[in-house]
Amino acid sequence: MGDGNNSNRGLVSANAANRNNNNNNGSHHKKPEWLQQYDLIGKIGEGTYGLVFLAKIKPPSPSRGKSIAIKKFKQSKDGDGVSPTAIREIMLLREISHENVVKLVNVHINHADMSLYLAFDYAEHDLYEIIRHHRDKANHPLNQYTVKSLLWQLLNGLNYLHSNWIIHRDLKPSNILVMGEGEEQGVVKIADFGLARIYQAPLKPLFENGVVVTIWYRAPELLLGAKHYTSAVDMWAVGCIFAELLTLKPLFQGQEVKGPPNPFQLDQLDKIFKVLGHPTIEKWPTLANLPNWQQDVQHIQGHKYDNAGLYNVVHLSPKSPAYDLLSKMLEYDPRKRITAAQALEHEYFRLEPLPGYNALVPNQPGEKVINYPTRPVDTTTDFEGTTSLQPSQTVTSGNAVNMQGGHMARSVPRAMGVGMPRMPHQSMAAYNLASQAGMGMNPGGIPMQRGVSSQAHQQQQVILPSRNNKDVTEWFQESLRLLLG
Amino acid sequence: MADFQTSTQRAKWILSPQELGGRYNAANQRAIEALEKFGAALMEVDADGSLSYPDPQINSKDHADKHSRPKSLSIEEEQFMRVFYENKLQEVCNNFHFPHKIQATALIYFKRFYLQWSVMQHNPKNVMLTCIYAACKIEENHVSAEELGKGISQDHQIILNYEMIVYQSLEFDLIVYAPYRSVEGYVNDIEELFNENAEMLQMLKVTASLEVDKIMLTDAPLLFPPGQLALAALRRSNEVHGVIDFNSYLDSILSRQNSTHTISELYEGINAIESLVNRYAFPSEKDLKHINRKLKSCWGLGSNDESKKREKKSKHKSKRSSNEMQNRPLQN
Repeated sequence: MGDGNNSNRGLVSANAANRNNNNNNGSHHKKPEWLQQYDLIGKIGEGTYGLVFLAKIKPPSPSRGKSIAIKKFKQSKDGDGVSPTAIREIMLLREISHENVVKLVNVHINHADMSLYLAFDYAEHDLYEIIRHHRDKANHPLNQYTVKSLLWQLLNGLNYLHSNWIIHRDLKPSNILVMGEGEEQGVVKIADFGLARIYQAPLKPLFENGVVVTIWYRAPELLLGAKHYTSAVDMWAVGCIFAELLTLKPLFQGQEVKGPPNPFQLDQLDKIFKVLGHPTIEKWPTLANLPNWQQDVQHIQGHKYDNAGLYNVVHLSPKSPAYDLLSKMLEYDPRKRITAAQALEHEYFRLEPLPGYNALVPNQPGEKVINYPTRPVDTTTDFEGTTSLQPSQTVTSGNAVNMQGGHMARSVPRAMGVGMPRMPHQSMAAYNLASQAGMGMNPGGIPMQRGVSSQAHQQQQVILPSRNNKDVTEWFQESLRLLLG
Repeated sequence: MADFQTSTQRAKWILSPQELGGRYNAANQRAIEALEKFGAALMEVDADGSLSYPDPQINSKDHADKHSRPKSLSIEEEQFMRVFYENKLQEVCNNFHFPHKIQATALIYFKRFYLQWSVMQHNPKNVMLTCIYAACKIEENHVSAEELGKGISQDHQIILNYEMIVYQSLEFDLIVYAPYRSVEGYVNDIEELFNENAEMLQMLKVTASLEVDKIMLTDAPLLFPPGQLALAALRRSNEVHGVIDFNSYLDSILSRQNSTHTISELYEGINAIESLVNRYAFPSEKDLKHINRKLKSCWGLGSNDESKKREKKSKHKSKRSSNEMQNRPLQN
């Protein structure tokens, strides 16, 4: 690609060092050229589809010293080319740009092992770690200003995504990053777009992709087997996260059913019904059409739930604006659920304390600034993921492990840096344990199994855009936008 | 969808005719330079997806002897080769019964790829297959490389070898907007506006969709936004079926769009697209054979000793089979 061809200008950089390296046995001791612009600090997370590293930009770059999170995607293991998760994440991030969405600063290719390295602006914190710090260490709740600012910024980023027809589909505290010290301190960044979808494209049911998403933040319509996603699934997750910011505990902690792809998660529904009461056809007319509602009459429809009262669980007055907003996010009927745009206009955000840019440092004098811990870094791992303690190959070896792992440990959400499980603290034993748990963590493995690919033929007819997603006017507006020269 | 207004397609991949000509010219020049320097222009893609030019020393004999140097393809000949393979691409997609969107995405990938490279540098057959594979991956209609290769009796390893090069050449701008959805959007709008009967509208839509297929084979997708391509297709379809007064429909569109578009600009665009379709030329069999022979010698795969030497040199199974295929005339 050299020789005057400038096709890798800008964002994409190739690994020139390996270009003329015709030896094909996978050994590549030489540090790739692009890598030399970074000082590797260490590994900050890992999952089925790869590893996350912390690095600093070296001089003479004008941004020297700047921290960068580098997410390394492995080649998909089943001999089917470049990781679809990586490709999907890149293609979406290339099209979007927003203050509250993580910024992809570079894509590097290591041809030697066909792996992709995505370089992001580094965020020191995430909501999982912030919540954990308050629960386990600080022993006091987040202050109101911080909760409100975090929530507002999360909604702001989500509103941007939704108005660009993107559904995130995997919002959870560990995917909501918060910038540490620096110009953007306390700014929320939505991360991990490995599962995100553009929703004018046909959206397949989750199980067809072999993907498993954390069930705690999964919307009831999905749990009941809805085949069509709408942006409302993200708003449900935001509601769950809002409650968790208030109480420091996951709102609906269901036991995950492991097993065949996309098993019915009765316990998760049970946890939701216990707090919100039974959904009814009167309040949610399309409920009757949902497959799991129809099929599992005995369990779901038969069981009677007393409405425990959401306000009791989150310790809010039923008359407070915070409660009003929360209950609108946790509305059963996805069509009635509040949208991100509507939520941003909610009274809650117009009352003191007003939400701010730096969610971590309140502007009121006298308020205590909390020093959240920085991300633990495993400095023994190099960019290939090899470490003296444990070779990376054992972390994910083959598709079988990926898939199994995907079902394992899903109900134990863990902190992620750039949407990957965070490194546990240093001890050797902990390291090993967490590595195994980590295998299960990654939602985005999307290793396409053979079985899935054969479905391609059956799907021929699917692609006609469904009018349900957009009304005619919106569609026409879209056509108009496509006129722009 | 991520908004077209802020899309990479609008920002980077819709060119002026001058820019487009410049890009084709530059790609052609780079291939010619490689040809002069190395005696062959075809880049080798290793199993790891990295690229290299042929070793110049092997070809030094050729280099010394100017007369035996392969003759390069002209820009027009390159164009013919692309036209041929774009048709093949549509054929393959039809055989697999892939939806329009995948076909369109693959075609646009193919076109964008050859804004960066010449067919002398990368065998369009391999690129075509890889573009289809990539489009399936991006549009979530996943087909394994093996399955795709099997379906057209080609070595799927080639697809995997090329995949990264294709993404990279596309600069990872992988979301593309095709006109099919806009056609539907306009037809829905017409339905509301004119109260036409559903059958007529269905015909209007089907024919327009076929017109889009034709437009997609021209340079138009690199020159015009998808909404204009859709209107051009609709106008042609409407000429066949006579469903609406198209000019007044254009007026109505413009009156509802708060943009700086004037009706004459829109006409100009639609006319230009239509003229690209009308001028579209498919190479004759004779031309094809001639160009193909030239192309093979540019690739360093002529019938002389050189090709044998190169073949012996390649150790990978994938590479060998790729060479074998290059030597085989195209089937179907």
